Amino acid sequence: MNKKYSLRKRKVLVILALVPGALFAGFPALWMFSNSFKNNSEIFAYPPKFISKSFSFSAYSAIFKDPEKIRYFINSYSIAAAVTILTLLVSIPAAYTFSRFDFKFKGILNGVILSLQAIPPITLMIPYFALIVKLHIYNSYQGLVLTYMVFTLPYAIIMLTGYFNTLPRDLDEAVKIDGGSAMTTLWRVLVPIAVPGIVTVGIYNFMICWNEFLFALTLTKTNEMRTVPVGIQLLMGQHAYKWNEMMAMSALGCLPILILFLFFQRFFVGGLTSGSVKN
Amino acid sequence: MHNRGTGILKSRQIVIMALIATATMVFGYSAPARAASTVTISFSQWWEPELPAGALRSIIDTFEKQNAGIKVKLVSGPYSATKAQTIAGAATGTMSDVVGLDGAWVSDLAKQGALASLDTALTRVKFPTKQLAGKIKVGTTTYMIPVVNYIYPLFTNDDLLKKAGINSAPTNRTQFAAAAKAVSGLGGNVSGWVIPLSQTNPNGIQNDIMSLVWASGGSMLKAGKPNLTGNAEVKSVLTFVKGMWDAGSITKGAFTLAEPDKVTEFTNGRAGMMIDSLSHITQIKTATPDLNFSIHALPKADAYSGKGGIPYASWGIGISKDSKYPVQAAKLLAYLMSTSVNTKLADLGHAFPGNTLSVPTWVSTDPMFKTAFTVYQSGYPANEFTGLPKAEDLMLQFDIPFQKYLSGTLTADQMLAEAQKAWLVNFKK
Amino acid sequence: MAVIAHVMKPRRKIRRTLEPFLYLSPTIALLLILMVLPVGMVIQYSFLDNVIMNEFPKFVGLENYFTVIKDPTFQIAVKNTIYFTAGSVAAHLILGLCFAILLNSQALGKYTRSIFRLIYILPWIFTVAIIAILWRMILDPVGVLNYWLIKLGFIESGVEWLASPKTALITVTVINIWAGYPFYMMSLLAGIQGISKDLFEAATVDGASWRQSFFNITLPQLKPIIISMSVLDIIWTSQQFAMVWMTTGGGPITSTQMVGIYTYQQSFGRYEFSLASTSAVLLLIVSIILSTIYGRIQSRQD
Repeated sequence: MNKKYSLRKRKVLVILALVPGALFAGFPALWMFSNSFKNNSEIFAYPPKFISKSFSFSAYSAIFKDPEKIRYFINSYSIAAAVTILTLLVSIPAAYTFSRFDFKFKGILNGVILSLQAIPPITLMIPYFALIVKLHIYNSYQGLVLTYMVFTLPYAIIMLTGYFNTLPRDLDEAVKIDGGSAMTTLWRVLVPIAVPGIVTVGIYNFMICWNEFLFALTLTKTNEMRTVPVGIQLLMGQHAYKWNEMMAMSALGCLPILILFLFFQRFFVGGLTSGSVKN
Repeated sequence: MHNRGTGILKSRQIVIMALIATATMVFGYSAPARAASTVTISFSQWWEPELPAGALRSIIDTFEKQNAGIKVKLVSGPYSATKAQTIAGAATGTMSDVVGLDGAWVSDLAKQGALASLDTALTRVKFPTKQLAGKIKVGTTTYMIPVVNYIYPLFTNDDLLKKAGINSAPTNRTQFAAAAKAVSGLGGNVSGWVIPLSQTNPNGIQNDIMSLVWASGGSMLKAGKPNLTGNAEVKSVLTFVKGMWDAGSITKGAFTLAEPDKVTEFTNGRAGMMIDSLSHITQIKTATPDLNFSIHALPKADAYSGKGGIPYASWGIGISKDSKYPVQAAKLLAYLMSTSVNTKLADLGHAFPGNTLSVPTWVSTDPMFKTAFTVYQSGYPANEFTGLPKAEDLMLQFDIPFQKYLSGTLTADQMLAEAQKAWLVNFKK
Repeated sequence: MAVIAHVMKPRRKIRRTLEPFLYLSPTIALLLILMVLPVGMVIQYSFLDNVIMNEFPKFVGLENYFTVIKDPTFQIAVKNTIYFTAGSVAAHLILGLCFAILLNSQALGKYTRSIFRLIYILPWIFTVAIIAILWRMILDPVGVLNYWLIKLGFIESGVEWLASPKTALITVTVINIWAGYPFYMMSLLAGIQGISKDLFEAATVDGASWRQSFFNITLPQLKPIIISMSVLDIIWTSQQFAMVWMTTGGGPITSTQMVGIYTYQQSFGRYEFSLASTSAVLLLIVSIILSTIYGRIQSRQD
């Protein structure tokens, strides 16, 4: 069997294996897009159709015409971006410390950071709310950014510690021999190699902020400060939903993240560590 | 030699990004500070998104014009989240000055010490209390005033009924069950009666189930305390519903169906009948203009011939106890309850005004609305859950055994006993 | 290699020991103020009676804990949560790993690979409210899924996936699996990328089969990441609230009751903030135990 044939065979097998998963993963998204173009009653037509007679962009234009809704998008993006950047800046040194250093309280700190995640956010809401009000950051960007950082930091630290643990110590040694400090090791050597991991954590952080609903609702009072998930919920009145607008808003929310993902995807290039340590 | 990596982000770029991020955080938009000369009060409610766009705001604008020196900030949110926010706000002293309330929350918020006495507030602004159609009290103090009331009559899809051979809307339970069965018999995705028994917001128990008890003059309480065990009227409703359940006349998926889903089912012509809020008439007509439907009173027990209770839900209003501006808050309340404004609000939402002198004009604009008004006048508003302690939990504690009963795991008596036991716990504290 | 003996000056030594704390200081400061404080308050609430509703709550010791643990609803919630968490985490891991390997395959062209990666990541970018709404729509007894299952002859009439006590728990678990596997997939993908190609080359030279190199190279290399993610996922899934709340609300009957939902109902349905805090603290204890185990595994690896 020549190589080309077996490669092609592998390609077909892989694609065949991927298709059912893709259906599972992608169908709801497809359904959402399809519904965003229908009018409200068509969404529940039976038998269900993908493209209905009433295909229109009216749901989308309703959103674009509403400056309040545009504001939601701006808020969501700004906050998510700020949180992601700040979290990475704080968590990378922290993860490095957990990975490379041995110090007193290490186990405890590690455990505490991890387990703080387990309190259901609902219970945390009232004391947290009181705290935010006392700090005068209620209904502001600062309040949400700091709040989200508290969610994203533990994840980021745990994940990045795991990544740093997979990078061989030889790299550190090499820097030390060259006379570099810990920070040099971290930022000049480990970080560039850990880029796939960092990008994953960054995207995940962004996603957590983007999708967060409970605290966005609680810690904001006025519509100027609200984010997209709250905006979507606002389309649910006590009695009836504006289904197509909700679908449209969600679709609009997804698109930029998809573009971001496509852009950062190229950083998943394998084997950056190959050939990096040779004595 | 070691590889420096591809250096995707140079250190300088990192620093710049960090500065931008911090700047966004620090100087990012915060809610603007208020002007010192005017007083700004906040009014939290879920009404704004439910009324036509801009309607509530313009009503408030008129108030501001009439009251120089007072500005009102509308804090709107979805109904589902408003309750939690109000409680959290009460606990941390950030509740709005004026709060939109649902009758089911009053007792608990009052106990929490979050609400101010409206008797005092109304006296302060000299509001003629005779004009108030209702006052919700806990003990002897009034904490909430219903601004407008939405009744929940019976909606029937007349096309489906006719197709199933039913020529007139059912007035008693036997006819109702027959109609539901006939419509379900049409097959496809059509069913006779749609009820929301979702536990997320269990007001289906109030609007769709208990309402049938009240429609026949029954009561779930005795002297203000739970009276479920051995309650013949409640039991007869239970067996009535179970009969239809077993006959397959009730929409599938009821256990996790919520009120908006119920409306959707009906609007899309998949349900023959539903008990629902009048406020949806406009929505249904806009969504499916060719849907032939009509309004009726709830079916009564076959043997009952007296006046029937009609379930209702109010948009109520209250004042926060910690409000820094109780006088201004009272003024807003009085304004919303004043005859002309109250009429306007009622018209906007197709509700019945909380002011006895207000005559809603919407009842004469459409024959359907006229029927609704007749239905309203032929009965009396009934909602025993208003003002009860932990009212929503009472509904939930009824819903769970009810679902067991419908699934056949419990008998009616067992179900009532279980619900009674759970209810008594709430009445203890 | 020369062995270099360090003789550190005392000042240097202090600096050395303080160094890790310096890098950790922003983390510690932030978490201390915004996390530890409120958590402390929640723990305090669990020892008081009827907090928030009562201006002067009294101390009741462990009474709330007994109340909660003896509550049959809580016990059901715990049982369901265990099932839900175990099922979700296991499936997340397996699916994530399979997909990551497939999506890393060099056999696909770059273009095809990107498209598939995009599709596979879709569940991740939806917000909870939309996930709940979408799936409720799709799983409706007269919805899309039932329509196709009937058409293809698998079932006779629409199944009440979310509304039947028999299927509700499995259904929400599947939805949770759908919503959460991309996290695993992405992290494992990144991890696989990080494995040095030399290892694989050496294995091929030695004549190792694909399966052998998977079990002897890929898995061990990924172990730290797998462990981190699993622990996080267990902790996070066990406190799951929003998605299940919006799809079934804990019903039908009590088949999807979860600890998170129990907590919410205690707070905002029954105004029993003390009991809600108690169940939250119980959850916290479980996760502390888990993370201690995690910490031990981690230090043993070092």
